Amino acid sequence: MDTGYWALQFLNALQFSMLLFLLSIGLTVIFGLLHFVNLAHGALYMLGAYIGVSAAASFGSYWAAFFLAPIGVTIIGAILYFTLIERLRHAGPMNQVLVTFGLIFVFLDLVRMTWGDIALGLEAPAALAGSSEFAGISYPTYRFFIIAVGAVVMAALWVGLTRTQIGAMIRAGVENGNMAAALGINVNRLFFLVFCVGCALAGLAGVIAAPVFSATTGMGISILIPTLIVVVIGGLGSLEGAIAGSLIVGFIETIGAVFLPEVAAISSYVLLAAVLILRPQGLIPARG
Amino acid sequence: MFKQTRLRSVVLAATLAGLIAYCVMGGFYAREIVVEIAILAILAISLDVVAGFGGMVSLCHGAIMGIAAYAYGILTVKFGLPPLPSAVAAVAGAAVFGTVVGWITGRTSGIFFIMATLAFGQMAYTLIFKSQWLGGDDGMSGLPRFDLSWLGIKMGSSLTYGLFAIALTAAVYIAAAWVLRSAFGRTLGGIHANETRMKALGVNTILHRARAMGFSALLAGIAGIVAAQHTQFISPELLFWTISGEVLIVVILGGLGTLIGPVIGAVAFISLKHQVSGITDHWHIVIGLLLIVIVVAGGRGLYGQSEHWLALRTDKADDKSEDRGHA
Amino acid sequence: MLEVRNLSKSFGGVRVAHNISFAIEPGERRVILGPNGAGKTTLFNLLVGELVPTSGDILLDGKPINGLSVSERARAGLSRSYQKNNLFENLTIRENLMLAAAAGQRKTTGMFRDCFGDRKVRETVDEVAELVTLTEMLDKPVRSSSYGNRRQLEVGLALATKPRILLMDEPTSGVGPAMIDGFHRLLQSLPRDLTIGIIEHDLDLAFDVADRITVLNFGEIVFEGTPEETRGNKVVRDIYLGDWQSNA
Repeated sequence: MDTGYWALQFLNALQFSMLLFLLSIGLTVIFGLLHFVNLAHGALYMLGAYIGVSAAASFGSYWAAFFLAPIGVTIIGAILYFTLIERLRHAGPMNQVLVTFGLIFVFLDLVRMTWGDIALGLEAPAALAGSSEFAGISYPTYRFFIIAVGAVVMAALWVGLTRTQIGAMIRAGVENGNMAAALGINVNRLFFLVFCVGCALAGLAGVIAAPVFSATTGMGISILIPTLIVVVIGGLGSLEGAIAGSLIVGFIETIGAVFLPEVAAISSYVLLAAVLILRPQGLIPARG
Repeated sequence: MFKQTRLRSVVLAATLAGLIAYCVMGGFYAREIVVEIAILAILAISLDVVAGFGGMVSLCHGAIMGIAAYAYGILTVKFGLPPLPSAVAAVAGAAVFGTVVGWITGRTSGIFFIMATLAFGQMAYTLIFKSQWLGGDDGMSGLPRFDLSWLGIKMGSSLTYGLFAIALTAAVYIAAAWVLRSAFGRTLGGIHANETRMKALGVNTILHRARAMGFSALLAGIAGIVAAQHTQFISPELLFWTISGEVLIVVILGGLGTLIGPVIGAVAFISLKHQVSGITDHWHIVIGLLLIVIVVAGGRGLYGQSEHWLALRTDKADDKSEDRGHA
Repeated sequence: MLEVRNLSKSFGGVRVAHNISFAIEPGERRVILGPNGAGKTTLFNLLVGELVPTSGDILLDGKPINGLSVSERARAGLSRSYQKNNLFENLTIRENLMLAAAAGQRKTTGMFRDCFGDRKVRETVDEVAELVTLTEMLDKPVRSSSYGNRRQLEVGLALATKPRILLMDEPTSGVGPAMIDGFHRLLQSLPRDLTIGIIEHDLDLAFDVADRITVLNFGEIVFEGTPEETRGNKVVRDIYLGDWQSNA
């Protein structure tokens, strides 16, 4: 096993971590800020992939998909927000879980009805096709792209949350919503903004994942569980927690599959169990 | 606190009687439906015990059922052990799984609990799905039914099996009702109402919740045996998250925290499923919307809402008669 | 019996308890006084285990209990009533007390028998109900009970486990003078082998009931002594009457 092999595994793990990050950051901030549990987050990811496929087919360009999918998912998210989510914000976690769980079922069939049951592919753009060199190995350029997108989003969110006023308001709202509102922060508008950003990120994750994983009806739930594990491990509501959690889960699942394939399947669950027992609030929770 | 009111007993008796009648007078297809209802009712009762009375909404009960079914399959088909002890062991195995999951998640509640059970249920699915020894995607066939020929009972007959399933449903309901009225059940209700106070009163709430999940898993395991013996075939699909989701929907559909509601929910759910499948392939969107509508409309479910209305009317009637008395 | 050594608690940079040391003897009635924000409830939370100290030791019967959880300390005989009612809202008063009594008698795990039908549990409930004068109200739902009754139940729950040490956090907060008298009578009818710690604001009650008084301010003990000593102490008087005096 030479450095080339390790470099390959490292990149695969990083790529998976980025996808997890894009999904978990939306979920964790929505939960940390709105106290809203959105189990349908994985379904939004799936919608992003499928909308991307259709956009690419209609416009004949991957980049159309890249821009339209997040927008499309955000629009759907906004509709959900005004019809259901705003009503349920104070309904208690159980009702939120039930309703968003129902949404998973609804979206599952909606996707099947619109796009059918077969996995749909999305072609990476010509500019990103082929391979590039890194640490002596050839790695698909498109996967580098995924890593790059993830890194850019991470950096943008970091700057946004820590250096801008809106970011400060969001962090304040996560720590103490009532206090933030008492200080005059328009929490409702903030929530809507955060929710939309979360949906956009889910849609983005879906469309950039599509060329690699294909759009399938099962992709929503198959990414939801690792995402939930990331959120629990990383801790609710914090960017650092989402970064740490997605890196941990991404690397354990990928590298684990190399060493001990049988164990790898359950490795992230074992990690989940360990965190739940030893540090149920997660590694880096937003509220101490 | 759980109370087996007269209304609930009447509804239970009526439902069981209806199922028995349908089973006896209907043909093979009717009996298939009855067994489906029974399996789902047992699962829903088991989930209501922890979700309705303990506040622990689990999304892994389908997986628990699957684990019992596979344990039964392993013991009977792979190891050739006799059915009855295998069934007992399989149910015990499910109970152990439930207890362990309950213990791991005992420090969490609400949404974390739900997410964790979803994850662990899916873990069980993945493990079984990937196992070549267990038949993987193709499943395992040849699971035996109980041999009660020495009692003159032919388990191979669809009528007998249907009645057997109904009998188990009644037994599970009675067991659940009994335990909910016991010291254990009362304490569980207390933990649901105010966990910090229960801790301050000296109760080890984590252990208690683990045990509650264990008991609930035991009941769910019974559903697994019924399911395994019904078609005498099992596949990993039993453990897929959508099954657990459907069990939760059934509980909400009937009425969370009423114990009889889930039974009603199971009847309604299976009936609806068979109606809808005649019209369209897209069953999931129907139950998804159904769940959303029920929750947004107040969340009491078919039986729960009926019970609520009846209670309001008897309160009004009491007030009226009191007024007349004072006049 | 209950001893605290150099107990400190900080939340980040905020010090809420600093180097607190004291000891309560078996059977003693200790009153904790101090202005709002002095850290009295924090001290109780540390004692029962709901807060983990930053440093220091807590000893029960001479044995350290720092590592014990809330429920373990309760099982060791340490019971506590809350400043803000912490009841089982969806049940009746009787059911509340029965849960507490059953917990105290370790009758919580049996899956066959109903602890609510247990004779000893019912006896304890009747006993405690009489002590806290709730006998007439036992079958009322908590939700529709008056604040005063709920306060009585709050203390009743802590008593129903038959503890060895009872910590009461402002038991008379928000209730009228009639109930304060009732509470006074309750305290006098409690067995003398029950060790009691009370956080109080009502100074008359405090001076009447206490064997010894500990005064807290800004998370530290500023005085400890008998009621007479406390009454005469300048530091204590400054804390309670400071504003009044400086305006004189």
